[in-house]
Amino acid sequence: MSDKQQPSKNPASVIYQRCTIDLASGAAAFAKVPCKNLEDVLGGFGRSFQILAERRITDAYTPENPLILNTGLLTGTSIMTGMRSYFSGYSPLKKSDKGMPGAMWSTGSGNFGNKFKWTGLDEVIFENRSEQPVYALLKEGASGPEVELKPASHLMGLTGHEKIMALSKEYPDAHFAAIGPAGENWRTVFMGAVVLSTDNEISSDEPKSRFAGRGGMGSLMGYKNLLAIVAQSSDKIQKITPEIRDVNRDIIKSGGSARFQPVSQGGGGGTWANIEVLQAFHAVPLNNFRPKGNDDVERLFRDEVEKEFDIASEACFRCGIRCHNNLFHRNEDGSRGKLAAKFDFEPLILFGSNLGVHDPALVCDLIHRCDLLGMDAISLGTTISYILDYNERHPDQPLFNGASFGEYEKIAELIDDTGRGRISGIGQGVKRLSEEAGETSYAMHVKGLELPAYLPDTNPGYIFAIAGGHMSMGTHMMLAKEGKRSMDEWVQAVTTGGLLQVGYDMIGLCKFVGVGIGHDLIVRALREAAGLEIASQEIVASVRRAYLRGLALELRQGFHEDEEYTLPSQVMDNPNPAVTLPSFITREFLAELRQRVWGVFKPEMEGLLPAAGE
Amino acid sequence: MRIKIKLYASLRWKLFDEAEWECDPGHDIAAIVEQLGLPRADVGTVLVNGMHAGWEEPVREGDVLALLPRMGGG
Repeated sequence: MSDKQQPSKNPASVIYQRCTIDLASGAAAFAKVPCKNLEDVLGGFGRSFQILAERRITDAYTPENPLILNTGLLTGTSIMTGMRSYFSGYSPLKKSDKGMPGAMWSTGSGNFGNKFKWTGLDEVIFENRSEQPVYALLKEGASGPEVELKPASHLMGLTGHEKIMALSKEYPDAHFAAIGPAGENWRTVFMGAVVLSTDNEISSDEPKSRFAGRGGMGSLMGYKNLLAIVAQSSDKIQKITPEIRDVNRDIIKSGGSARFQPVSQGGGGGTWANIEVLQAFHAVPLNNFRPKGNDDVERLFRDEVEKEFDIASEACFRCGIRCHNNLFHRNEDGSRGKLAAKFDFEPLILFGSNLGVHDPALVCDLIHRCDLLGMDAISLGTTISYILDYNERHPDQPLFNGASFGEYEKIAELIDDTGRGRISGIGQGVKRLSEEAGETSYAMHVKGLELPAYLPDTNPGYIFAIAGGHMSMGTHMMLAKEGKRSMDEWVQAVTTGGLLQVGYDMIGLCKFVGVGIGHDLIVRALREAAGLEIASQEIVASVRRAYLRGLALELRQGFHEDEEYTLPSQVMDNPNPAVTLPSFITREFLAELRQRVWGVFKPEMEGLLPAAGE
Repeated sequence: MRIKIKLYASLRWKLFDEAEWECDPGHDIAAIVEQLGLPRADVGTVLVNGMHAGWEEPVREGDVLALLPRMGGG
């Protein structure tokens, strides 16, 4: 790339390197692809969704459904958090009432994204499926990137972490994206995650992986018989210029990232602190998203957990935000023992209070099981909470093993049996399960994607999320943070700031940078690390188009613009008096919100998808 | 006049959980936060008697002022 190109004027001047691998034949084709628009330039789902839009897919498990691995513009640069890799495809999990799969992406950090970028590739499209289990070796060659498919039967049955460690012995200079047993059991598990290796994981042999969990991209890998992807290259760490150093300093000093930084550095201690803040309103999910107004969740407060475990703030590769809260058992002599689990807000709540489990040691164990088996913690936790709720309502005719809230051993059994493919039903997510059980009102999903650990009673914005509730619509804290509940405020939030949440899923940085996607920090980062001059308003406009293209794809896949853009009916029909935040979501509220938001979005969605027949 | 201050998460780890606090009548919330020595940027949400409040709002005798750190996720 030439210095300070202006890709908004001439996107085709930016070229990316694509490799298309036919898993059926093993053939690989390389292409240098000129960007069509700024979404292509920025990358991530902004690019992959344009590829998905060109295909009419009616079943996620068909050879025509591609798995797209790509990076963002800042992946592999020296901008802090620039490590993201993206996995996109039509999702086995997200489905419309017409039975069509929704387009999805999922993303994670770790060091895999860097290594992938450093092989010289920006994108790999995995087509078809292999007859035998394989892994893909992507490597830096003397005259450009090279790819090879290798037999992987020896990896079958291993956890994601075990696969990573087995491959790292063979490829010590590589990083890895693998699936766990859940992804291998794709027929019964639609929520398989992609497990991404970290330096810390490989050096310690502790399962400190990161996860691209949402939407079952690990299950799609499993369907394709692709058990792992190896990215092998030398480290190509970009020189840190004074300008890049300044950007990184400003990321660390920005209030946006401070809340995720370690307590010992004066930070907020990561998303874990959200428990305590939301508990101030009795708005922490408990027993399937139904807080009782009691103090049960307080056993999971940080200072309570610290009495029992050693907490270490750790980081992805060269990231100063250090958001990982890894919990270690304490040895009898007080020294640090074995890794117990990583505690982030989502798994902590969804395998803790929301299942009626409040003992931190037991919560650790449940998180650990889910991670090792390679499932999305949000989807699995939320589906299990539905089962426990159902069983409480129907003690005489319970589902599965009859587990109810707080029954740790039975819950652990459900996790293991699901991940190992011994039972079906749970792994297909709460939408399908609740429809089969005949009780959908308390199934916590929107458009087939399970809700994260923020109450739907507090966030009507969930209905316009396109790839998981809070990752793709940044309105989940608005009520608790600001008390806003008027229609005008929610229309404004959804149609302006909220949708920009997805911008980080294009550019290769992590959301924990914590500033708006149009912030000067982002403009400077793109200028200094990628050599591209892109104005703030151009970034914002491109992110907006990418989001709206995703929304248009949902409608094309049969999602009904009224009936499926809604919340679990319990929210409207049975408001929870224990939550001290105002209750304001009624059917009428949602109907007006839909009408006004579609009124803004629909004219802008025109022309974002290829016309039929193109 | 006396009010009660409640702090949450990282704010309470730095100072205290809950305290009776003496302040001048008419003091607004911004002045009290400054008195506490907390950077305003560290405070994400302010509640007075359980209701969301702004920086410039005054507090009254007997009010319960809750200060919550900035939240984030996703």
